Amino acid sequence: MSAPRPGGYRAAAREVLRDRPEVRTSVMAATHTFDEHRRASWEEIDADAWRDWMRDVKSHVLTHLDVYLETAEARLEANGVRVHWAETAGDALAALGAVAEAHGVRRAVKAKSMLSEELGVNAFLEERGVLVRETDLGEYIIQLLGEPPSHIVGPAIHRSVDDCRRLFGEKLGTAPDASPEDLAAAARAALREDFLSADLGISGANFLVAETGTVALIENEGNIRLSTSMPRVHVALVGIEKLIPRLEDLSAFLQLTARAATGQAIGTYVSLIQGPRRQGEPDGPEEVHVILVDNGRTRLLADERAWEALRCVRCGACLNTCPVYRQTGGHPYGWAYSGPIGAVLAPGLLGLEEAMPLPFASSLCGACAEVCPVRIPLPELLVYWRERAVEAGLAPVSERLGMNAYAAAATRPRLFGAAATLLRHVPWELGGRALPVLGSWTAQRTAPPAAPRTFRSLWREGIE
Amino acid sequence: MRPSSACCPKHRAPDVRVALFATCLGDAFFADACADTVRLLRRLGVDVDFPEGQTCCGQPAFNAGHASAARRMARHTLDVFAGADWVVLPSGSCAGMLRAVFPELLAGEDHERALDLAERTFELAQFLVQVMGVDRLGAGLAGTRVAYHHGCHALRELGVHDEPLALLRGTGAEVVAWEADRECCGFGGLFSVKLPEVSCAMADRKLDTLPEVDLVTSADGGCLMQLSGRAGRRRGRVPAFRHLASVLWEATSA
Amino acid sequence: MSAPGRAPGGDGPASGRRARILARVRAALGGRERVTHPGDFTGPRPLDARGSDRLRSFEEALVAAGGEVVRFASVEEARRWLADFAAAFETISVGATVSAPLRPDRPVATPGAAALGVSVARAAVAETGSLVLDARDGRRTQLLPPTHLVWIRGSDVHVTLRDALLDLRGGLPSAVGLHSGPSKSADIGQILVRGVHGPGRLIAGLIVEDDGPRAAPSTP
Repeated sequence: MSAPRPGGYRAAAREVLRDRPEVRTSVMAATHTFDEHRRASWEEIDADAWRDWMRDVKSHVLTHLDVYLETAEARLEANGVRVHWAETAGDALAALGAVAEAHGVRRAVKAKSMLSEELGVNAFLEERGVLVRETDLGEYIIQLLGEPPSHIVGPAIHRSVDDCRRLFGEKLGTAPDASPEDLAAAARAALREDFLSADLGISGANFLVAETGTVALIENEGNIRLSTSMPRVHVALVGIEKLIPRLEDLSAFLQLTARAATGQAIGTYVSLIQGPRRQGEPDGPEEVHVILVDNGRTRLLADERAWEALRCVRCGACLNTCPVYRQTGGHPYGWAYSGPIGAVLAPGLLGLEEAMPLPFASSLCGACAEVCPVRIPLPELLVYWRERAVEAGLAPVSERLGMNAYAAAATRPRLFGAAATLLRHVPWELGGRALPVLGSWTAQRTAPPAAPRTFRSLWREGIE
Repeated sequence: MRPSSACCPKHRAPDVRVALFATCLGDAFFADACADTVRLLRRLGVDVDFPEGQTCCGQPAFNAGHASAARRMARHTLDVFAGADWVVLPSGSCAGMLRAVFPELLAGEDHERALDLAERTFELAQFLVQVMGVDRLGAGLAGTRVAYHHGCHALRELGVHDEPLALLRGTGAEVVAWEADRECCGFGGLFSVKLPEVSCAMADRKLDTLPEVDLVTSADGGCLMQLSGRAGRRRGRVPAFRHLASVLWEATSA
Repeated sequence: MSAPGRAPGGDGPASGRRARILARVRAALGGRERVTHPGDFTGPRPLDARGSDRLRSFEEALVAAGGEVVRFASVEEARRWLADFAAAFETISVGATVSAPLRPDRPVATPGAAALGVSVARAAVAETGSLVLDARDGRRTQLLPPTHLVWIRGSDVHVTLRDALLDLRGGLPSAVGLHSGPSKSADIGQILVRGVHGPGRLIAGLIVEDDGPRAAPSTP
């Protein structure tokens, strides 16, 4: 994936809305389905109690993260896993590259991993002559298209069945009227080759259990189980925030994450990986590596407010309910994580300036906070990052001056009343040149009809 | 956003004295709706005052990250309404600002004052149902097909959902089911002009799913401006867009 | 491309990166209030609403996810059914720990070529409809053949996932797979398809030799 470009959000959003309306249609439908399923499955449980508990466990881990990282490392090493520590994306890629080189890897299979998108794994390995095949069907589709993922859970939700027919017809030789079953069968056959011949399997991790050194992964297709079982070497990329304390804690996390993401009671396949193949086991990788990745997470952890965003379990529920995300899908956000969580992680992981304008890409409707399984206060954090942006001088000068003038007027009632009277007479349709903000309104909306009088003046005359 | 506690004892006029907070948008663009709010409350026997020192609750500044500007406006608002028994607003988002945000925004003594103000502050429909115990205003809307847009702050910050629906049904109106009724309209204050294309796509989503109705109403002027503004540029039949206060007054006075 | 100056093993305690990351974590946490672990999760579980017959709950959950369940009162009954069932498959692959009576008498092929894979589950979970599969039985047989038959004893079915995990903790192999239905994906235009990568058909052969209750789960 190319360098993050959140700065292009407005232009990219405008472009997709204007030139590719089918994306909005596909994304709207897919997210609606996910959210409906989530809602129905939460009604079967005491969702409030589950969410409180998961929030507290994650907050506990994050406020004891050094202890849990050391415990996890000790367990992993005792299980025969090689543990690497990566401060930056460069460190992580270097560690991965070293493993690939040491084993003469020519071909790798990859399970879906948002962290690997964040790090830019595919481009890095391909530059070194390693063929990387995405095995998750949605990731496979966008890999063939040469696009980044549009959603945390469903990378290709912005694409229709017809898009897939055209794509698979071109790349895999399927018939023009192929059914979804035929298309899936073609992908299965093509990827089966890759599973059987790959030298290296790369995955992320949904959770890392400190107590047992278990890497836990959730999926529905089986490609993660295959990617982590078939090749000789398995490398798991694990963000340091993925820790959870005990194996039994996994029970609630596995279930609520699945319910939040797709409404399922549990993912079809859960992999609990302790380490490489043992004496007497018929198969499995000979070597397992875990790369523990910081890449800005400690910076976010240090933030007194925004550290709570590190509780995220990557379920995508906030995307599914976000009315802003649903208009365009994930591409305009310009990096691996989109929607509300993307906007809240970006200033911490990428830096405040690089993250602009994502914290402003929200109407603060609050729908996201209602569905987050770990109760991240997303709207509050969006406002928090906006305050930090204003303090850092990243808001337009005209806006800052305008706000200060507005506040000055708002503490002087007579001035405020006079200004209100005047402003109502600004012709919105023509005012666009003088005040671009008005032009932004009137380009696609009629101006509000100016009331003949202010309420203030009506009151003074007496209301009958 | 936290829904603020909403339970309150029922009160009977003529004990009730309300200070109206018209809001900056109300004063400039929805004067008639504010006047109808006064008429409606007076019809119920409530004494209504309009403290003239009022200006803006500071929400546009707060949402845009200008916390110190927002604090100045919040403190001013606390001063203006210090003596009021009840504060009523024809705006869910501004009521939410006072109830849910002011206490978080202000520290020390002002924090205490903000908590105190929050307890006395209500959005109009919330006030009518929870404090005045009203369930039936006049039947003047009998036969009217109405769609209700739930503003985000009223819904999620104040927990107001059933109250406006109950009041509308009490007028004889038919409140028609609307798939996207609780989705954000795309106004979001400055969001509507900073990211106008996405904002309009959000309004389109609302309007695309709108059933055949005579009237669209809401407790928030900003939302009405957004929806009616976008509807005005689209093809097809456009229903009337009117503020809830005016709709209820019309039903009562008919 | 430069490699770190050692074999591609772990970083070890001497690594500067490790020390710096841990130092940054400690510095980040600084004086922040530490949150205590809330303890065991004892909230109401979905199964409470569905009743206490764990075998029926297991069956319902697995079938709702697209799996199939066949019940037998004895290994002998299962064996007879198996002879009939397996006849339709040209080749089979069988897990290393499947007992003799439960191995079909059909030509054996590698897991990648076999039409039917037969495994034994170490345990199962009623509330999620999951089969707990152990790497010692063989992962390829659990994943590659398009039809997957998994034997499970009624007495090995736990009520909750938590119980199953507590039970696993003492003896974890290199990998455990929780399989809760046939492979599925909705990535093509949101339309559900089966058998993308993993088996498109999952059958649990549930052997209930007595009606005795499961051994008491570990107490919270």
